[in-house]
Amino acid sequence: MAETYYFRIIASNGIFFEGKVQAVLFSTIDGERELMAHHEEMIIAVDVGTLRYQTPDNEWHKVIVGVGTAQFANNRCTVLVDTCELPENIDRARAQAALERAEEQMRQRKSIVEYKMSQASLARALTRLKETSRKNV
Amino acid sequence: MANTKEIKDRINSIKQTQKITNAMYLISSTKLQKARKDLEATEPYFFGMEAMVDRLRRHLPDIENPYFETFDELPEDEKVYAYLVITADKGLAGSYNHNVLKMTEEAMSKHKNTKLFVVGELGRQYFESKHIQIDEQFHYTAQNPSLHRARMISLRMLELFTKREIHSLNIVYTFMVNSMATENVNQVLLPLKASVPDVSLPMDVYQEEFMLEPSPDAVINAVVPNCTTGYIYSALVESFCSEQNARMQAMQAANKSANEILHDLSIQYNRVRQAMITQEITEVCAGAKAAQKD
Repeated sequence: MAETYYFRIIASNGIFFEGKVQAVLFSTIDGERELMAHHEEMIIAVDVGTLRYQTPDNEWHKVIVGVGTAQFANNRCTVLVDTCELPENIDRARAQAALERAEEQMRQRKSIVEYKMSQASLARALTRLKETSRKNV
Repeated sequence: MANTKEIKDRINSIKQTQKITNAMYLISSTKLQKARKDLEATEPYFFGMEAMVDRLRRHLPDIENPYFETFDELPEDEKVYAYLVITADKGLAGSYNHNVLKMTEEAMSKHKNTKLFVVGELGRQYFESKHIQIDEQFHYTAQNPSLHRARMISLRMLELFTKREIHSLNIVYTFMVNSMATENVNQVLLPLKASVPDVSLPMDVYQEEFMLEPSPDAVINAVVPNCTTGYIYSALVESFCSEQNARMQAMQAANKSANEILHDLSIQYNRVRQAMITQEITEVCAGAKAAQKD
């Protein structure tokens, strides 16, 4: 059996997952990254997207995370993200509404702050929709 | 001595007030339960974030990043200190608001140029009445803190900081130590302080080296906004929880003193009534005696 390590996902509304895993896969600013046991010590920025982790029973679990950071030290990994949800818990209608709202705001070019804000909410809405559509279709 | 009508009116008015304080007590206690649940859920994130920033500071190589710039070369007169103050939307919460405002004023008096960002209606009105300039386009309520609100606030703050309109950002809020004690906190959010090792480690101790991917700069640029949002969110939640707690205690005390006053007044009322009855009897007796003599 593959070696495992201790892994935690902490979202702003509570500890989402805590336990042993074989591997964790998530997206970063410049692509996806997989962490296995005894990885080098590091701190890395996590981008909006899906995060997958493999528990010792070889099962892959998929969750949708917001922006945050991951740190790996002493064979322990902690992922700190603002939001974390299961694909089945996502409200498609809400995400769709958020997407349309964000697109609308992007079109009306406003200040840089507002642009960044709508860009971030666009990314969140898109990821949520992508994952739920995969489930439903 | 006051007459019975006056006392009765007073009793009724106190009873009315007590109804209000009692209702507020019930409302704040249910709100507190919700706020406390939120707080418990956020605490791991909050402490995790603090630990992460600490670790990042310790292991950071010497780099130039806008978030670490301390503006030491700038004369004190030209530095702008921003204060993000979290107060409640309404009063009747004991010394909760007062403590936060006092701490803010104390901190602000040390600097020449300050900018105020106030969350909560009460704080805004307080500073307006004292003619202290506050940022007008900064309208956020302290009720039911949400991640969205924290994002909006932190984006605004980071924009001002990177534009060099402010040179330091402090946050003043109330931290809930436990259900009985709260503590006011004045924390510097920006700029981040670069590493200053507190303890000198012996040479042979292995110091973990962190890999920062794709580059230290990129990690910092991605992490700092998140941390700021996270910190502001947690501060909002902590403050909201403390506010409800303070209001609950204040209302409980108000209820108690209302009961005491009612007790005293009812004794007074009974005495006055008794005195009136005694007087009437005396008058009737005297009248009867006078009639008998004739």
